[in-house]
Amino acid sequence: MEFLQNAIDAISLGAVYALAALGIGLIFSIMRLINFAHGELIMAGGFTLYTLAGQPLLVLILAALIVTAILALGMERIAFRPLRKANPATLLIASFAVSYLVQHTVLLLYGSRAMGVPFLADLSTSLEFGGLRVPRLQLVTIGVTLLLMGGLFAFFRYSRTGLQMRAAAEDFNMARLVGVRANRVIAFAFAISGGLACMVSFYLVAQTGSVSYKMGVSMVLIAFVSSVVGGMGSIVGAALGGFLVGIISVSLQAYLPVDLRPYRDAFVFLIFILFLFWKPEGLMKTRADRERV
Amino acid sequence: MLTIDNLHVTYGNVVALRGVSLEVGEGEIVAVIGPNGAGKSTLLLTAAGLVRPRTGSVAFDGRSVASLQPEALVASGLSLVPEGRHIFGSLSVAENLALGATVRHDRAEIARDVERVLTMFPVLRDRYRQRSGKLSGGEQQMLAIGRAMLARPRLLLLDEPSLGLAPLVVEQVYAAIQELRRSGVTVLVVEQNASRALAAADRTYVLNTGVVRLTGRSDDIRGTPAFEAAYFGVQAGAAG
Ligand SMILES: Nc1ncnc2c1ncn2[C@@H]1O[C@H](COP(=O)(O)OP(=O)(O)O)[C@@H](O)[C@H]1O
Ligand SMILES: [Mg+2]
Repeated sequence: MEFLQNAIDAISLGAVYALAALGIGLIFSIMRLINFAHGELIMAGGFTLYTLAGQPLLVLILAALIVTAILALGMERIAFRPLRKANPATLLIASFAVSYLVQHTVLLLYGSRAMGVPFLADLSTSLEFGGLRVPRLQLVTIGVTLLLMGGLFAFFRYSRTGLQMRAAAEDFNMARLVGVRANRVIAFAFAISGGLACMVSFYLVAQTGSVSYKMGVSMVLIAFVSSVVGGMGSIVGAALGGFLVGIISVSLQAYLPVDLRPYRDAFVFLIFILFLFWKPEGLMKTRADRERV
Repeated sequence: MLTIDNLHVTYGNVVALRGVSLEVGEGEIVAVIGPNGAGKSTLLLTAAGLVRPRTGSVAFDGRSVASLQPEALVASGLSLVPEGRHIFGSLSVAENLALGATVRHDRAEIARDVERVLTMFPVLRDRYRQRSGKLSGGEQQMLAIGRAMLARPRLLLLDEPSLGLAPLVVEQVYAAIQELRRSGVTVLVVEQNASRALAAADRTYVLNTGVVRLTGRSDDIRGTPAFEAAYFGVQAGAAG
């Protein structure tokens, strides 16, 4: 019974990590950019909820989605598009700069204290199934994640734009040579990653009941680790990596000796480093470093 | 149809092209041959808009391509099959062909053109639903050409289509090139394989170390001492 309880915890946390990792992995697969400012997209979703607190749920959700998508598109347009031909290190540094800029803008506007936000409070109660107590938030998280992933899968598999994005992820210049519009697929990737970040912020705000200007930072690290575990550049790999890291985190939380549990994340990163010795290219092989046109 | 004038291209401090001028007329097959590192790929990548020249100009249909993105050039009728084919190996043959038609929206006509490609290259029909990464080199070249055909180019640029292929497959590829020309496509083909390209092309340019060393009707320059000198880099006057 305890095992089942842990399994549900692991899957729901893994689902959140998978959504965050997908956002990072999608941008990397197309642009070779590790977007550390993804954490600030998550944070922007949270602050939209804070700013509009009291509005109807649907308004909150739509507003947060619009804000994160616009912020994601804005980052691309202003910071990353001019650097598209730059090397990955330059792009990475640019993403740190964007992350810092957005964080400190929010710090100026809202201050540094964490602020309470009532959001989806009725999901904090638990359902009981014969001795098993499952928070509604976990069930909703798992359900929404599965729906989103199914939707994304169908989009990539069956739509014209999805096919173009897969082609661009495999060989960007060749995709342009068959007529795929670079700006369009990259904008699509950023808009989707903004939407994914927003879903993560819904979870974080509902879970913690608060927002702060640093709320995206640890999540983006986990997301980065997850997408590396999955295989940088593989979209399926990112999702898989997220679930795996979630499962490991929850297992450590449950089975580490009590006095070591506060250091759970340190153990996660330790396992990550060991994993890299074993499989530096991640679980899913990609053509990320294949020769391009 | 394609006019290249005094083109200079550099990568950092490597000079790849130093003042290349070249002309391709409508309906022609034109070859550019030259040894490895001559600048052939650079020439085609510049014409396709993927590499920007330092100075000089490229005009397609009399219009400068300087401000056009590669994807816009495809839409206006210029397609490149790059060196090494660059098929999307993780995607199926069908998906690769569908991507070839990215710039088009005439569904019924696209389906007809896919059928035409599959008739031209029957091996692709047998492997239509398979991952294209599993195809042999020759099959990949056919897929790359078929994918380019689906954009309905008026000018097709081919970078070393015979590279690494068995002689029989090379013949198949060149038969396809001739058939494309008959259907009204203008072709600019780049090769190290001088004899194959000379046999196929109406006119040939010999490129060496970024400079056009010789140009003329293929029949006139084949096997001449001037051709040997131009291709192998010895200055014509110094050869004797
Ligand atoms: N991306 C690149 N970066 C730096 N140098 C390059 C690059 N591509 C080609 N070169 C150099 O430019 C010259 C011409 O290369 P290329 O156009 O590929 O010739 P070819 O296709 O005739 O073999 C060579 O000296 C090559 O080393
Ligand atoms: Mg070449």
